[in-house]
Amino acid sequence: MAAGEAAVGGRLRGDMAAGGSSGSRADNGYGSQPPRRRRGPGALATAYLVIYNVVMTAGWLVIAVGLVRAYLAKGSYHSLYYSIEKPLKFFQTGALLEILHCAFGIVPSSVVLTAFQVMSRVFLTWAVTHSVKEVQSEDSVLLFVVAWTITEIIRYSFYTFSLLNHLPYLIKWARYTLFIVLYPMGVTGELLTIYAALPFVRQSGLYSISLPNKYNFSFDYYTFLILVMISYIPIFPQLYFHMLHQRRKVLSHTEEHKKSE
Amino acid sequence: FVSYQVEILDWKTKEQLCFLDKVEPNATIREIRLMFHKLYPRLYPARQSIKLDPKGKSLRDEEILQHLPVGTTATLYFKDLGPQIGWTTVFLIEYTGPLFIYFLFYFRMPFVYGLDERFTSSPHPVVNLACICHSFHYIKRLIETVFVHRFSHGTMPLRNIVKNCLYYWGFAAWLAYYINHPLYTPPSYGKKQINFAVVMFLLCEAGNFSIHVALSDLQRNGSKIRRIPYPTKNPFTWLFFFVSCPNYTYEVGTWISFTIMTQCVPVGLFTLLCFIQMTVWAKDKHCTYLREFKDYPSLRMPIIPFLL
Repeated sequence: MAAGEAAVGGRLRGDMAAGGSSGSRADNGYGSQPPRRRRGPGALATAYLVIYNVVMTAGWLVIAVGLVRAYLAKGSYHSLYYSIEKPLKFFQTGALLEILHCAFGIVPSSVVLTAFQVMSRVFLTWAVTHSVKEVQSEDSVLLFVVAWTITEIIRYSFYTFSLLNHLPYLIKWARYTLFIVLYPMGVTGELLTIYAALPFVRQSGLYSISLPNKYNFSFDYYTFLILVMISYIPIFPQLYFHMLHQRRKVLSHTEEHKKSE
Repeated sequence: FVSYQVEILDWKTKEQLCFLDKVEPNATIREIRLMFHKLYPRLYPARQSIKLDPKGKSLRDEEILQHLPVGTTATLYFKDLGPQIGWTTVFLIEYTGPLFIYFLFYFRMPFVYGLDERFTSSPHPVVNLACICHSFHYIKRLIETVFVHRFSHGTMPLRNIVKNCLYYWGFAAWLAYYINHPLYTPPSYGKKQINFAVVMFLLCEAGNFSIHVALSDLQRNGSKIRRIPYPTKNPFTWLFFFVSCPNYTYEVGTWISFTIMTQCVPVGLFTLLCFIQMTVWAKDKHCTYLREFKDYPSLRMPIIPFLL
């Protein structure tokens, strides 16, 4: 199941677009890496992972279909968030399981990296979009939801096919190419949404605590959100260029492999 | 008597960096490093990682050429570890920072809490106590760094110091800010809580110091032979019966006591992070002990007796 291991592994932060490669390993599904001491997922774990990835693919397809149907019904692309709010929350939160997958070693990814990625998605879903009701009608929400949806559908189907050792080149290509557009698109949507939430957070004092109190602690959610936005500046380019690098490695390796057949 | 030839290649480019002729078979890696240093004055021995395999581990100074799995013409690989800084220097910088940063907040420098509060002092005795304890802790660490610790590695990469200082200094500033804040609220259970915390603090500091002394005594005379640490007559060292790294155990205890003393969430968070970091180090150390010593006491856990 080396292909499964290689492909199921490796995500990159904000796996927003169909990118997310296997960190430092050539995620080419051909298992061409030095022998690893860690034992791969057993048959039971593989079956579970297939089911998990299929369910997630289906879930995000539901969201995609929901968006299209709502658009057709409403006739406009505004405020589509409400029609897919519940499945979005459910399936994006469900991705927390992926942290456990890494922790238990059935997926050869870094726990810390995966946790960081998933938590940032969950943060945007719950701590920003859900918590600040006024931003739910913003167009920026649609921007990142669409980016996430397309990304996740491709990513989860990529994993599913890899686990089954039958990865169509189209899916691999899509995963390592569409991110070029989807990643910036998603980041833009996320940043605009956080920015839109700022005045409401300031006004309501959401998630903030001030002195004096018996815990001798203070937290200003407004400032925190600004810091989050600033953190995109160093993080986004690094990840984007890493994914471009991975793309070159993975897709060119496939070309060579094809030529040698 | 066969003399060796040693060629040293760059680990990445594999280009030959130097060729040493007529090397004695019983030459140590340390001597090879010195020879390399003569050819490349900027690359002092602490910066050199010399290995048998380009992706392998760095060879220790004490290794002897003829005992290595090489032929009479040995090929070694070199990697530049970057500018290095001595451990003692690192610790001195890391620990002096928090000491003085805390004072900036304790004495309420003008830019910290606003001009109106400048140079005022807190009405709460616990705030003075906290300053004494915090300072005591870091002064003790500085003294240990200079007089007690014996470091097995000489150096660490220079960029580590930026990372480490950010962490220690940053947290010191963060927790000092709240403890010395004009709106600070003293502990809910008052004197009882504070006194308990002080006692625990002193016991843990004494314990931590005892362990450091015990560990340092193990390596008298700069001998590089590693030995299992055992409990001594000092009751604080009896924790060795149960734990591989009692110094970390006591250190966590110190910070827990400081959290209780100040009843301050940032201190609690710092304590949590310390605990996590030290658990990682303790587990590592514990595994190393188990690997090196066949007769290692089986009752011992890494950091918390019976549990962790």
